[in-house]
Amino acid sequence: MEENENTFEKAVEALKNEQIPPGPPQEVVKSTMAKLTETAGKADTVKLDNRIRIIEGLKAAKSLTKIAAAAVLLIAAGYATGRLAGPRPPDMEQIRAALEPEIRQNLLGEMKQYLQLGLANGYVRIKDELSQQYRQDLGRVALQSVAASNAVTNELLTELIESINEAQNQDRQWVAVAFKQIESKRQQDRTELTNALATLALQTEDELIRTKQDMAHFLSYTRPGQSNRDEIGNSDN
Amino acid sequence: MWQTSYRLLGNHADAADCFQETFVSALEFCRRQRVRNFSALLARLATARAIDQLRRRFRRSRSETDPADWAALQSANPCPAERAQQKELTDGLRKSLSKLPLQEAQAFCLRYLNDMSYRDIANELGIKANAVGVLLHRARAKLRESFELSVKYYK
Repeated sequence: MEENENTFEKAVEALKNEQIPPGPPQEVVKSTMAKLTETAGKADTVKLDNRIRIIEGLKAAKSLTKIAAAAVLLIAAGYATGRLAGPRPPDMEQIRAALEPEIRQNLLGEMKQYLQLGLANGYVRIKDELSQQYRQDLGRVALQSVAASNAVTNELLTELIESINEAQNQDRQWVAVAFKQIESKRQQDRTELTNALATLALQTEDELIRTKQDMAHFLSYTRPGQSNRDEIGNSDN
Repeated sequence: MWQTSYRLLGNHADAADCFQETFVSALEFCRRQRVRNFSALLARLATARAIDQLRRRFRRSRSETDPADWAALQSANPCPAERAQQKELTDGLRKSLSKLPLQEAQAFCLRYLNDMSYRDIANELGIKANAVGVLLHRARAKLRESFELSVKYYK
């Protein structure tokens, strides 16, 4: 029972909140205006037609008795006399013709006013709906832009990381080449230094030998008695 | 007025006819007597014409299905199942409304779909405010019963 009640309330809510397309369309408004104009002109004609039909019906009645005919003739004669004797009644057609345009214009004016009011309400509602749609679209576009910019940023970051890695590899290669050059230079310097030291040692040795000889000479000069002995000693050595 | 007509009839062509008929009826009413509240009058007339059309529709097409109003299809729909369920509920309620007596149906629509006050409804229908309450109570009871039957039929 409660479930049915809920379903019923749900149906009422659904009907009340049903999405209604904006309207009425322009062509419906135009046709309504045309119909109103037509109806405004038609109503009086209908009344007049009705009156004519009644009179014709009365004329066509053939079952009247002679007495009734005489009475009618009498009434008609009395009416004619009274009509001719009295003041002329106002012409209804003329009055109607004078009043009809004004009444019709007033009615049309009022109906236009209501239609304009309805259209203005519709305009406000459409404006609200469009602004809401615009906000939703804007939000969606913003989300898509952020997603796209994130993708582009990630791509750029990947490219940056790759270029950094490449530069580091190149630096490492350059450093390795530099180390090799330094090592070969060191080897070359070491060889040259060894050779130079060997040359220096040989030259030093020669110089020492020469100095020793010079010293022997010198000593032979300073102690003449021993000069022969020293020379003998040196020759032994 | 357009909303009232479209909500009750559910398609564009019938709503346009109802719109036109309502204004013609309003014009005739204006000729007969003085109008105090035009918006309420238009709402009542639109409701009455729409209920008349609903009756004609359900009487005419008992065995037919309703023509779909493709112009009313929205691109930003919720899910199709939810849409179908809502359509089923609203169609059931429309059918139930078409079976109510005119005065009760009018009172129900003016109160629950157009949010009019009891006093305004009473003024429009030419009855007392207490009678509006009675009408609404009866209308709800009959609608609930008829709606349950139609929902069972759909199930």
